[in-house]
Amino acid sequence: MMRLIIESWRRLRSIARRDALESGVDEEIRFHIDQQTEKNLRAGMSPDEARRLAVLKFGGQEGIRERTREEFGPALLEDAARDLRQGIRLLRRSPGFTAAAILTLALGIGATSAVFSVVKTVVLKPLPYDKPERIVTIWETTRGGADRNVIAPFNFVAWRERSRTLEHLGMVGYASLPMMIRGQALDIPGLTMSADVFRALGVRPALGRTYTPEEDFGGDSAVIVLSHEFWQTQLGGSPDVIGMKLSTANGPKTVIGVMPPEFTIVGQKAAFFIPDGRTLDQLRAVNGRESSYAIARLRNGVSFEQAFSEMKGIFAQLEKEAPQLDARRTVVPLPLEEQMVGELRPAIVALVGAVLLVLLVSCVNVANLLLARSAARAREVALRTALGAKRARLVRQLLTESLVLAAAGGLAALAVAALCHPRLLALVSDRIPIPRLDQVRLDLPVIAFTMITALATGLLFGLLPAFVSTSAIGDIVREGGRHGGSRRLHRALNSLVIGEVALALVLLAGAGLLLRSFEKLQSVDLGFQAENVLTASMQLPPTRYDRVHGDQFYLDSLSRVSALPGVEHVAGASCMPVPYPCIGTSFWRVDRPKPEDGHRPYSQVRPITPGFFRTLSIPLLAGRDFNDSDTVDSTPVVIVSEELVRQQFPDGSPLGRRLRVNFEHANGRSDVEWTIVGVVGNMRSNLDGPVRQTIFVPRTQRPSLAMTFFVRTQSAPMRVATSVEGTLHSMEPEAPVEIRTLEDVVGSTIARPRAVSMLVGVFALLALALAAIGVYGVMAYSVRERTQEIGVRVALGASPKAVFRLVLGQALRLVLFGLAAGLVAAAAFTRVLEGLLFQVEPLDPGTFAATTLVLLAVATIASYVPARRATHMTPADVLRMN
Amino acid sequence: MAQDKGDLLQGTLDMLVLKALALEPMHGWGITERIEQWSESVLQLGQGSLYPALYRLERQGLIRSEWKVTENNRRARYYSLTRAGRRQFVDELEQWRRMSRAVNLVLAATTSGS
Repeated sequence: MMRLIIESWRRLRSIARRDALESGVDEEIRFHIDQQTEKNLRAGMSPDEARRLAVLKFGGQEGIRERTREEFGPALLEDAARDLRQGIRLLRRSPGFTAAAILTLALGIGATSAVFSVVKTVVLKPLPYDKPERIVTIWETTRGGADRNVIAPFNFVAWRERSRTLEHLGMVGYASLPMMIRGQALDIPGLTMSADVFRALGVRPALGRTYTPEEDFGGDSAVIVLSHEFWQTQLGGSPDVIGMKLSTANGPKTVIGVMPPEFTIVGQKAAFFIPDGRTLDQLRAVNGRESSYAIARLRNGVSFEQAFSEMKGIFAQLEKEAPQLDARRTVVPLPLEEQMVGELRPAIVALVGAVLLVLLVSCVNVANLLLARSAARAREVALRTALGAKRARLVRQLLTESLVLAAAGGLAALAVAALCHPRLLALVSDRIPIPRLDQVRLDLPVIAFTMITALATGLLFGLLPAFVSTSAIGDIVREGGRHGGSRRLHRALNSLVIGEVALALVLLAGAGLLLRSFEKLQSVDLGFQAENVLTASMQLPPTRYDRVHGDQFYLDSLSRVSALPGVEHVAGASCMPVPYPCIGTSFWRVDRPKPEDGHRPYSQVRPITPGFFRTLSIPLLAGRDFNDSDTVDSTPVVIVSEELVRQQFPDGSPLGRRLRVNFEHANGRSDVEWTIVGVVGNMRSNLDGPVRQTIFVPRTQRPSLAMTFFVRTQSAPMRVATSVEGTLHSMEPEAPVEIRTLEDVVGSTIARPRAVSMLVGVFALLALALAAIGVYGVMAYSVRERTQEIGVRVALGASPKAVFRLVLGQALRLVLFGLAAGLVAAAAFTRVLEGLLFQVEPLDPGTFAATTLVLLAVATIASYVPARRATHMTPADVLRMN
Repeated sequence: MAQDKGDLLQGTLDMLVLKALALEPMHGWGITERIEQWSESVLQLGQGSLYPALYRLERQGLIRSEWKVTENNRRARYYSLTRAGRRQFVDELEQWRRMSRAVNLVLAATTSGS
């Protein structure tokens, strides 16, 4: 211990005396050599001879100096500081090179940290729950399918009663609730949620309390818990909000609590949480499904697998007990992490993969630049090695230079990220519901990640040039030191070009596949014309409207809107045509025996007003449209889609035949027979799914207090937005109106594939540009290096054409190698995109061929300029250069 | 360019340097000369190891250095033993003697045995 302290003290002291020591060593060596020279002189040598032998006897001065210096103490630090200063000086001396390298790095690293910041928040950041790994969400599948689907309240009650592995099993459903806030009617998105969900998640309110199971299942509770954001932005954030009464479309609600900031229900934001209000018996009596799913917590000591198999078992029983509800379905319990990330995983994998490829390409590019430059410094390196400098020391110095470069690149990357970040997020989050995207920040961990990435990249792209240029000395000496280049260096440069081209190809191929897939998605025929249609959705408060009043309101408002200038047609429907099937139900033909439970055909049902088909340009193939004589008291009628006719009526025209449908008529009876009066063309409710059978019913016979107006306009639909909204608002000021164009509604259904293909596309373009720069840089360098050879060729009579072919040939050989390697790698990697592709195979030959051609073309252009320059070379140039 | 001839094991070199300095303070070149002289030029000190060794010994506190003026009026760094250095030298000398005696015994035994 004592020794250690003394040693440390001496080392510290030696740092302080550093400069004295440094000059001391030099003087000592000089003295030593002088003494030896004198001795040699005394022995009778000539002065020159005496000096020469003395120097020779002493040995490599540089090496000795360095090894002596290493004995001074903490030389590493000291050297690092010197290397750092020298590195910065060198970089400042070649601003062009430095700018190119920093820009390349800034783009590569900036893109990486932008993606990291999103992944960190959306995927990696744990949810603010108690032991989140114990939380399970529960869904069901569609009939006979594997898609995640909403649950039946009946099943929910059964799970609550029977499950021994889960506790605090609660139900979450979507509830948008119009509220009067500061005298204005606003449609506020919130959740109906069992009291148990608060317990399952293990969260406490920031203010007040949450509701109890008794309030929840009691039947008539009017309490509401608010989100922190809603409380702050809409209600002023005052603590006396507790006890306040909010006026909503469903009557007054008393505020009892406020949740903490950033509280979400498994990533879903909501302004408020209200109890469902129905008793367990009432829930059990619900015949069908609502837009809800369940959340629960694993009991102590229970594994997810145990809960999973228990739930499957319970559902198998339910399938037998309630076949009309549950036949050919199953339950889907998901761990929280899967719930949060599951669907997004392919997109995230694609983005992370793409951005890492960009990062790699930018590394390779900077390594390229460094290598080509190190060639110019090869003589300096060789000289210092000959003077006895150790290789490790030189490598360290060259590495320090790359690290300086990397650090600068990292800082620039932060600037790039800070600039692009908000714009990027706004672009994405407006369109795509990604949980917690609004919580993404450029915070300390992201900054730390950026700088660490930068330094790691610095090492990565710095090591190769450092080793190659210090090991190439033998070659340089052999070549007489005339050229900076050596064979080893060329080999390294060539393999970097090959690698770069290969990486760029992988990325381009991936982007190409996504773009093609997106193109296919876009060209899917939805069955209706979305251009020049404005939509306006509203919901009448149930406290003031019943079915009859609602019907009358919408009838009046349709005629008022149709009279507005610029409006061609107008119609209404209970739901948007995309992205969800409106109501799903089983049905059967009255003239055929009723099929078994679970084997009845299934259809989406869309309540509409007369004129809907004309407004959306859906062709009426047979029969008639609904009209004003189809009322609640007239014969129940339906219009069916072509697909339904194809599947159910292979035996002839369906007109006049009757269907039984598994839902209630406006008169309250569910055993009515519906007569088919028309057939229309197919209409898709989503772009990537199959065409579904569809039944349209008149809204008069299947009413709803919510309706969407579809307004076909003569010109740009947003021009009539104000007059439509104003008209509706004047008729009912308490019902909020949401205006969108139908094109926008359709567009948002493909927002995610659009965003993914756009982002990967941008990354691919980045990689392409970097690869082009890389190829250009190496070819330009190679031409410079081969000046002499080319000059000799020209002197010997080679035509410019031959020279051009020589240089271009060399470049294209490298590029072709790169393309071959890239194709192999791409074939292996595009498989991860499978989940994101629509009607495109991961190995789509068209895409691969096109990508290869694009890259070949770009690489050819990149090598064209250097090749061109080579043809202008004359023997005189060569002589001048020597 | 580093010459291997006459390079010594580090421990041995340290001991020889201590031995030279045990006599009187001297500079680096003097140490080289003295050791060559003593060993009848068998041991040629590589400067490649001498100067690093001097700085190492100084850092270990076994020797100290000061700049002095030589008889022909030049500045030179003179090294001398510290008290710890003298103790170290005695210890090492003792150890060396034991070791070389042991080695000699072993070599003699082998020769007579064959």
